[in-house]
Amino acid sequence: MIRFIIQRLLQLIPAILISSFIIFFAMNLTGGDPAMIIAGDKASAERIEQVREEYGFNDPVPVQYIRYMAGLVRGDMGISYVTNKDVFKSFMARLPATMELAFASVFFAVLLSIPLGIYTAINQNTWKDNLGMVFALFGVSMPNFWLGLILILFFSLRLGWFPSGGRSGIISVVLPAATVGLGLAALITRTTRSAMLDVIRQDYIRTAKAKGASDRAVIYKHALGNALIPIITVIGLQLANVLTGSVLAESVFAWPGIARLIFDHISKRDTPMVTGSIILCSIMMCLVNTVVDIIYAFVDPRIKAQYVRKG
Amino acid sequence: MTENILEIRDLVVHYETDEGCVQAVNNINVIIGKKTILGLVGETGAGKTTTALSILNLVPNPPGIIKSGSIILNGVDVLKLPPKKMEEVRGNDVAMIFQDPMTALNPVMTIGEQIAESVMIHGERSKEKALNRAREMLEQVGIPASRSGDYPHQLSGGMRQRVVIAIALACNPKLLIADEPTTALDVTIQAQILELIKELNRKFDTSMLLITHDLGVIADVCDRVAVMYAGRIVEEGTLEEVFNDTLHPYTEGLFNSLPNLRKRGEELVPIKGMMPDPMNLPKGCAFAPRCPYTIDECTEAVPELKKIGSHLVACRRYEDKNFRLRRNS
Repeated sequence: MIRFIIQRLLQLIPAILISSFIIFFAMNLTGGDPAMIIAGDKASAERIEQVREEYGFNDPVPVQYIRYMAGLVRGDMGISYVTNKDVFKSFMARLPATMELAFASVFFAVLLSIPLGIYTAINQNTWKDNLGMVFALFGVSMPNFWLGLILILFFSLRLGWFPSGGRSGIISVVLPAATVGLGLAALITRTTRSAMLDVIRQDYIRTAKAKGASDRAVIYKHALGNALIPIITVIGLQLANVLTGSVLAESVFAWPGIARLIFDHISKRDTPMVTGSIILCSIMMCLVNTVVDIIYAFVDPRIKAQYVRKG
Repeated sequence: MTENILEIRDLVVHYETDEGCVQAVNNINVIIGKKTILGLVGETGAGKTTTALSILNLVPNPPGIIKSGSIILNGVDVLKLPPKKMEEVRGNDVAMIFQDPMTALNPVMTIGEQIAESVMIHGERSKEKALNRAREMLEQVGIPASRSGDYPHQLSGGMRQRVVIAIALACNPKLLIADEPTTALDVTIQAQILELIKELNRKFDTSMLLITHDLGVIADVCDRVAVMYAGRIVEEGTLEEVFNDTLHPYTEGLFNSLPNLRKRGEELVPIKGMMPDPMNLPKGCAFAPRCPYTIDECTEAVPELKKIGSHLVACRRYEDKNFRLRRNS
């Protein structure tokens, strides 16, 4: 099993190389001369040329890419044109805020959606099921920023229970997490419902009932245990998504996370900051997916068996 | 007190779907005595499995509804039990072996856990002791105890069916229902599993309801036979009575459609036509449209199960004292 995990981690390397190359190349295509930004508005043509030479902007893109990746391995991703701060450090300074929001929203979503998914599945085609599905539809179709504003209006301006923005302790994460989480919950609810519906028709559920297992044991032990794979897949994908930031929620709640960092610096054409942040985000994405793959093996012995045989 | 383990009286089970009402089981009576093995024969769709699931009160609902009747298991009417009490009965007083061992086991639990679960539901507190009991049961069904940590996907079909049997017998049920336990298995494995069921049945003093469409299996295992057609029992008696002194034309048809080594090369004689649509059963005998002996009276009213000679049969042709099946004349 440990060999399998190491193997999965090694497989990350090509994935990261390919994605980072695409990002790096695309950022070079976006146009705009970074030398002009660095040298300033009033710099002379000679000065700009000098900057180009100094920063290696005249080299071919692959050469620049290799130089960049060599720096990345050492944790050196360049200096922001705008703030003159180290890109890697700036990103890492914002990461905890985004992680806090991401885990809080996924936690909120899971807490809400798995019980709801199970409930709608076992009450399939009744008004309870329909009500749950209407809620799920509502969750998907509601725009994040709008929901965020409504929550602020009601819970912070009228009731004054939560701060309307910024990051100040655990209480401040509630509204943004609820905003992001509600959108996630909708999808997880639907996935849970359909996975459960699929599983509760299986023969082994009947075997469990014939043993005399209570409804509770049948649902939570036998059915949920088998429905987990698709549910974990969706949760993993969603976690990866919110880990790389939710621009709208971070903007509405003035949340100092990665998404706003990237967004702010795109508008300022700060290429090192944007390239670096996006590459780091893609690495996180790959990591989360690998973790999900590893979790599969613990949830389903059949998947584990495959890996052990191969590895 | 009654000596019978199971008495099904006037059981009626319908499936109420949007398209119409499927009359799966229509007024059947079944009695199983202590240590008796009753075979329930009939073709697919005759209502055999529905009857079995009714005993566990596990008819899928919706759409299935037990309309009327009573099922007295060990002196208690299970249809009147509250859900909690019913859970105590399932697995403990009555257990079931299912048709397809490939899908009957939970793929994410070890086989030891699945057997132990049954033991723990019915009173064992200690997980350690339950797992020990599971290992004991595995040995009983011919699987080394060391494999109790295996998952179902690591076992062959025959071994999985052994595990299903171990789960069913783990709590010493008084009645074992086996729903086509060998249908999904290779012929050589079928024989092994049948031997195992017979052997364990003797060892554990269990009564059994064996559902099958295979007359060979019936001949091998059963004491008594009930033949089911379109939700009704059409003939019932001891193995010898039904096999040697067949009374119902449908039973005769079943025997005729068996391949026979002594008549090699001859064409098989299938029963003509199809079983009637259970949503739309005929007014008279359900077998009348396919029966070679049909007379007008047959289509008028449903024949009752009556004692004719040695055993019970539901056929109006026996109102004529001289009527004999071709097989018997």
